[in-house]
Amino acid sequence: MLPKRFDQARPFVVLATILLAWIFLPLFAKVFTRASFFEIQAPLQVADSFVRDLQTFWSNKAHSKDELLKAGKQVAGLIAQYEYSNQRSAYLEGEILRLENLLKLPSMPDYRFEAARVARRDFSAWWQRMIIRKGSNYGITVGAPVVFAGGVVGRITEVHKYTSVVDLVTSPTLRLAATIAGDPRPVSYQGGLNNTFSAPRGTVDFVSNDFFASPSARKKLVTSDLSVFPPGLMIGEITSLEPSADGLFKNGEVQLDQRLGTLTEVTVLIPLNPEE
Amino acid sequence: MRRYDLRWLVVTLANLVLWWLVCLANHYLANVDLPLIGPSSFYLYLGGLFVVYGALRLDPRHGLAATILTALLIDSVEPVPFGTSLFLFALVHVTVLYGRHRFPREGAVFAVVVALLANLFLVIALSFLLVGANPRPGHAWLRIFFDLLCSQAVIALIAPWFIALQDQAMHFMEIHPETGRQVHR
Repeated sequence: MLPKRFDQARPFVVLATILLAWIFLPLFAKVFTRASFFEIQAPLQVADSFVRDLQTFWSNKAHSKDELLKAGKQVAGLIAQYEYSNQRSAYLEGEILRLENLLKLPSMPDYRFEAARVARRDFSAWWQRMIIRKGSNYGITVGAPVVFAGGVVGRITEVHKYTSVVDLVTSPTLRLAATIAGDPRPVSYQGGLNNTFSAPRGTVDFVSNDFFASPSARKKLVTSDLSVFPPGLMIGEITSLEPSADGLFKNGEVQLDQRLGTLTEVTVLIPLNPEE
Repeated sequence: MRRYDLRWLVVTLANLVLWWLVCLANHYLANVDLPLIGPSSFYLYLGGLFVVYGALRLDPRHGLAATILTALLIDSVEPVPFGTSLFLFALVHVTVLYGRHRFPREGAVFAVVVALLANLFLVIALSFLLVGANPRPGHAWLRIFFDLLCSQAVIALIAPWFIALQDQAMHFMEIHPETGRQVHR
């Protein structure tokens, strides 16, 4: 029979054994276990988003014909506007291609757009992510940029069979190269200032000393061509800039789009030539 | 005929249901428009509640199995190194297991107190592991403090219900939680 002192400490011996077994477990076994446990829960993660869609469908069904006709007219007006923008965009793309050939410039990266519904939001002080309802079944790849009407949403960090995880631009785990609109010099952006009672904010570092920003004179922060995002996409607005400790650059805060917390649909930009 | 002992599965499934409800709540709490305050964001973390029943009521083997499975389910979804929750949950589980014979562990009040203390430890431990990635850790700690307050309040409210749910599930399955013997309804 084991001595009483050992018997009391047995739970901790078991814990140590489990930890040792976990540490020496081969990596492929851990990867397989993680993927299996994620896929077991995947139906639960998306089920409630399908129920929400059904709820929206039935509430839309309850609208009267007059309301639908009014909405139809508005949509027709928007379509006309977008048709014009589309034609102009096609003309400008042709111009870019002509200049690229003329000046022998490398071609701009091209993307396929994949719209996806948001299944789950997961916003904490530790991370800020969302799960979308499309995965490897739609050819989504890790690192693909995710955007919405207001600009950058984030980047794909995990791709599963039917779902993907997006690391949001508000997350402290997301860093990207950016530029101040109208200036080619790159700066570094990082998310992470997410207070309970205020809109999400991020930080910007390595800003040149000749820039000034205040809440009344904001500067637009857009994506740089040094990141995975197409250049010129809106990240947020710089609301303050202070000299850094060494005085070589300035650091500041970036006000992000409030709509990031209520998104229901996003667009994933899948690179058409990922090897480039 | 010998019945297969499913206590670990009953507790794991109950934890999975609670985990799903918490994720659902966090989805809606990600952006709440509060009157007079404006848009606000909260996050609930109820890790302490997942460990309590397994550690206080089940026998050590089944309790640990339920805790490990629950931790792996959570680890697979959260962006932490795989095994973080496994280590933290198992540590809380064995600590409660070590001291459970000294306390009135059948009582709901004691279970609530253990869940609150376990959750406090888990949030602080996770924060120390993860807050380093934040560009301004001071801001992050303020947010963590608010989220912790909300999480503890929710645990105090729902812990008696969750313990009763698992008790009822055991009763429905006609199993005694600690011995695994058949109990007639």
